[in-house]
Order: sequence, then C-alpha cells, then structure tokens
Amino acid sequence: MNGGSEKAADLRKSAEQGGKPYPFLELGDLRPALKPRERFSERFMPPRNGMLVFDPSRCTGCGTCEMVCGMRNVSRVAPASASVRVLRNGAEGRNFAVHCQHCRKPLCLEACPTRAISRGEDGIVRIDRVFCTGCGLCTMACPEAAPLRDPATQTIRKCDLCDGDPLCARHCPEGALTYTRGKAFRWIKGLRWTVQALSFLLLVVILIGTFCFFRAGVVSLSCPTGTLQNIASSKTVILSTVLSALALVVLTLLAGRLFCGWICPFGFVLDLVGKVVPAKVKPPRWLANRLNKYGVLAGAVGGSFALGYQAFCTVCPIGTLCRSYGVQGFFRGAELAVVPALAALEVTERRSWCRYLCPVGALLALVASAGLIKIVIGAKKCKKFSCIQCAEVCPMGIIDGDLLREGVSPKVPMKECISCFRCVDRCPYGAAKIRFRWQKGIPGEGRP
Amino acid sequence: MRGETGEDPEMKEENDRLSQVKRFSGAAFCVECGRCVAVCPMAEMYGNFSIEMSPRGIIRKALTEGAEILRDENLWYCTECNAGTDVCPQGVSCRDLVRGLREMVLEEGKAETTASCRHCGKPFAALPVERFVFRRLEKEPVNVLAFLEYCPSCRRALYSRRNA
Repeated sequence: MNGGSEKAADLRKSAEQGGKPYPFLELGDLRPALKPRERFSERFMPPRNGMLVFDPSRCTGCGTCEMVCGMRNVSRVAPASASVRVLRNGAEGRNFAVHCQHCRKPLCLEACPTRAISRGEDGIVRIDRVFCTGCGLCTMACPEAAPLRDPATQTIRKCDLCDGDPLCARHCPEGALTYTRGKAFRWIKGLRWTVQALSFLLLVVILIGTFCFFRAGVVSLSCPTGTLQNIASSKTVILSTVLSALALVVLTLLAGRLFCGWICPFGFVLDLVGKVVPAKVKPPRWLANRLNKYGVLAGAVGGSFALGYQAFCTVCPIGTLCRSYGVQGFFRGAELAVVPALAALEVTERRSWCRYLCPVGALLALVASAGLIKIVIGAKKCKKFSCIQCAEVCPMGIIDGDLLREGVSPKVPMKECISCFRCVDRCPYGAAKIRFRWQKGIPGEGRP
Repeated sequence: MRGETGEDPEMKEENDRLSQVKRFSGAAFCVECGRCVAVCPMAEMYGNFSIEMSPRGIIRKALTEGAEILRDENLWYCTECNAGTDVCPQGVSCRDLVRGLREMVLEEGKAETTASCRHCGKPFAALPVERFVFRRLEKEPVNVLAFLEYCPSCRRALYSRRNA
C-alpha cells in the first residue's frame, strides 16, 4: 500500500505542476494503516485475536466499507459484491453495517453441507472457495445473515477480516468500524487467582482457624454465620463478637460477595477442582434450587439453638479446611472428609456448593442484595451469538445467555453474584461493567 | 412437448412456460454424464438421496414427463447451489431449471413446501433445506433459533434494529 501512496503522491505533484489531472484516489490515501495497539499484557500472554467492532452511533452510512470491500473481492468498485452491507435508515438517521462477527462457535460452520467453512487458529472464519458450492445455507444458519450473495456471480461473499488487516476498518472515515484486540481486561483473572491463593495460604496454612474466629489484640474477625450460631447456641450476645462479624458484612455491602469469589479457601479449592473436573452431570432437582442455602442457614441456626453447640460449624467445609492444617488438624480425617465430598459436587455445575448449599454464602447473599455495586451487561454493545463468553465463564451461572442472544440485557442478581468479575474480565466488547447500585445507564443503551 | 434430443428448434410452444424454463436452463442438452450428481451437496445432506432427487433425475423427469415434475416433492430438496452448473460439460444450469420450476409451482399456489418469512411473508427457502439447517443446529437452544423463521434480509434488519 505504501507503493500506491507514493505513486499517488507523484501523480498529485505532476497534477500541481500542470500535468495530467489527478485521476483517482488510491486505497492507501484515505487513511493510513492502523495497527492494533500492543498491550502491556501481551508481552507475557498470547496475543488475542483481532476483532471488527462496529459503533452504530458513528456510522453515517457513506458506504466506504462496502466500496473498499467490494474492490478487494472483485477488483472493481462493486458495493454489491462486498462482504459487508450497510443498512441505512434515513428516517431515524441510524445506520448499521452487517458484517461477519467471526463467532467462536459459528453456526454457518455447522450448517455448511460441504464443510467448506472453517475457523482458523487466528479466530477468522473462512470459506474455502474450492469446496463452496454457493448454496447459501450459511446465510440461512447465520443469525444476522452475514454471508452475502454476490448478485453478479451468485457466489457467497463472507468477510475474512482481510487476513488480519480489514480494509473497511482502515477506510472508515468516521471510525465506526474499528479493528481492535477487544476491550477485555484479562488481568483480573491473574489478580483473583493470586488473591485466592494468598488468602488460602493465610487462612489455612499460616493462621490456623482464622476464618472462623481470629483475634490479634483489639482487632477481631469472625464468620457471620458462625456468630449467628454462637448466639443461638449460647443464647447470649457478646458485642465484640458481633462487631467482629460485621467486618465481613461491611465488605459484602461494599463489594458484593467478594469473600466467596476472592477469599474463601473452600471456594479456591472448588475453583481448582473445577479446572480439572468437567461439569457434565445434571444436578438433581432437589439440589438445584438456589433457595436451599437459606434452608441450610435456618437449619444451622435452629440446630445450634436446639443442640446447644454450633451445629453446622462441625461440618462446615470452610471451617474444616481452615482447621485442617497443623499438628492436630490434618489427622482429623472424619471432619475433613466433608471437603472432598462437597468438592465432588463440581461434576454437576461450577460452584454448586456455593450456588445451592453454603449457609455462609446465604447470609452474605442476604447482605449483598442491599449492596453498593451491581454488574450490568448491555446487550446492545454485546455481539450476541458470536460470543456469550460471560454466560460461559460465570461460575454461578446467573448470566442468562439465551436472553442475551435475543438482544435483551439480562439482569444480574447480585444476591447470587460472587463478585469474581470473570464476565467483566472477559467481555471483549466492554458490555459487562461494574456499576454503583444507583447508576441507571446500561452500556450501549445510554441513560434512560 | 419437445423431444429429448432437443432437435426441435421451432418455438412452437413459445407461451408454454415449462418449455421456456427448460430452454433457458439448457436442460435439453443434458448428456446424463452424472458430474452434477458427483458434486451435488445434497448427497451429504440427505440420507435418502436418490437418482430421483439428484439434478440428473430432475432434468430427466422434466424432459420426459413434462408437467409431472411440478408435483414431485423431490424438486424441493435442492439448495440452489451452483456446483452442478460449474462442472457441466454441456452448460446446463440445473439451478436455473430448479428455480424456474419452483417459481412455476409457487405461482400456481401449490406451495406447502417452502418456508415463508414470518415478517415479510415471502418464501425464502425450501422446507427440506430449512429442516436440514434445523437438524444441523439441533444442539443450539430452541428459543435461540427463532431467527430461522425470518428471511435473510429481514434477519439483517432485525439484527440491526436490536443493535443500533
């Protein structure tokens, strides 16, 4: 393209000197080639696949993308042969460029009868011209009908991102079509795992029995559910104990169930187990009810009241993990057996213990429902079918991917959210955001 | 009715739509080499792929049995791809033939074999073809596949309205 620019510059110069009038615009003239910005994280992480992001608020409907794309496809200005189509809405002044999103699980790939469509290592979905018969079943299977039929040759034109340097993004005069590496953070993951590992070390290895009750001088911290059971069993309220339980409650009010996602040692174990064990078995219906955990909480408090000792704490997997390390700890085998037994629940769903049974989580959930923050996912910014990573990575399974596919922003119940921020971390379109409770706007939809 | 050999150059049945379709698609020049059957993606798509369903069978039936082909359900399995035309040594466009025949059927109003767009109401695909796509996308949640009921251009408009 540089050569073309030089040629054009020569022609322009000759035109200024009274020679032949400047005849045409070279492709490289309109806008210099944009290289995706290298991020700091890419120095130690594999580079991410580029993606074409379209911003409808910037599109003027000029059709430059169609023009340059058609030019690349058939070597002449033929917008109808382009693999991008601009839908213009003059009445409302809204335009939209339909282009291939290069889905992670392409439906066109599934439907192609000759298996001409493949998804490469670089994340680009391509049609192999040798095998393509032009039957158009990919258009039938695509939710946005992005593979377009060339009216002249009756072949299917589908974006191949110009093999990593899309002309449409380069020449879009308004910057509505941009080629980026996505807006995913990708560093929250590392931070979370580090914090989880450190708190596991701290709570289990270094400070024995810390999570349940811990005192250093005047500072004391304790488990809120344990405190409730303590009050129920001893039938006395000690102010200092209640205050020490309040620390976790305040944290939950500020940042949701941050404890469950970032600190809980048993949650760390579950996350590790979940890395290895595939979640395939369907959980039984009596188990798969998110109200169960409140029942367990009520049972724990009621049981403590009746029995006179902290009933649930003896079998609590978090507590047994905390107490397990040390001279007298590791050999209390019977007590520790509850940890692998509950970790085995990971074969049903990710974090099924936290979803359905954990009474500590239940108490924090009640607090978090009045919390300060919320997670919003804007369906208009999200590219629907092509991604749905947020619903996939959510360990609590509270993001409704089907709703997102239908174009409706799902409501994320903060009661169930463990504030792991996986969705925020992964969303390549910047549609999942952390917001304060009172903020009304949804990404991509503006303020109501 | 024109003969199989296509030696009747006179435009006797100028008004006859069927013979027009056959003439424009060049069906009369078919030598039954079977190359179109070899490349036909329908063999991959349907378990009951047979000579009657194949482009060669459609061309033969159109030539020998005339209007009988319009009541044949085998007409509706074709995806209207261009594979057979690309390889045909005689330049027969089986796609144009199938398209023309389908148009005739649709104009007569005997179209229980096409899927119509839920929004604009136009037929956009043959039912067996749509059923094939459904079967391939079986694994997807059913409520998500609602877009299959819309024709591609309506689908594009719908998608843009959701996103813009």
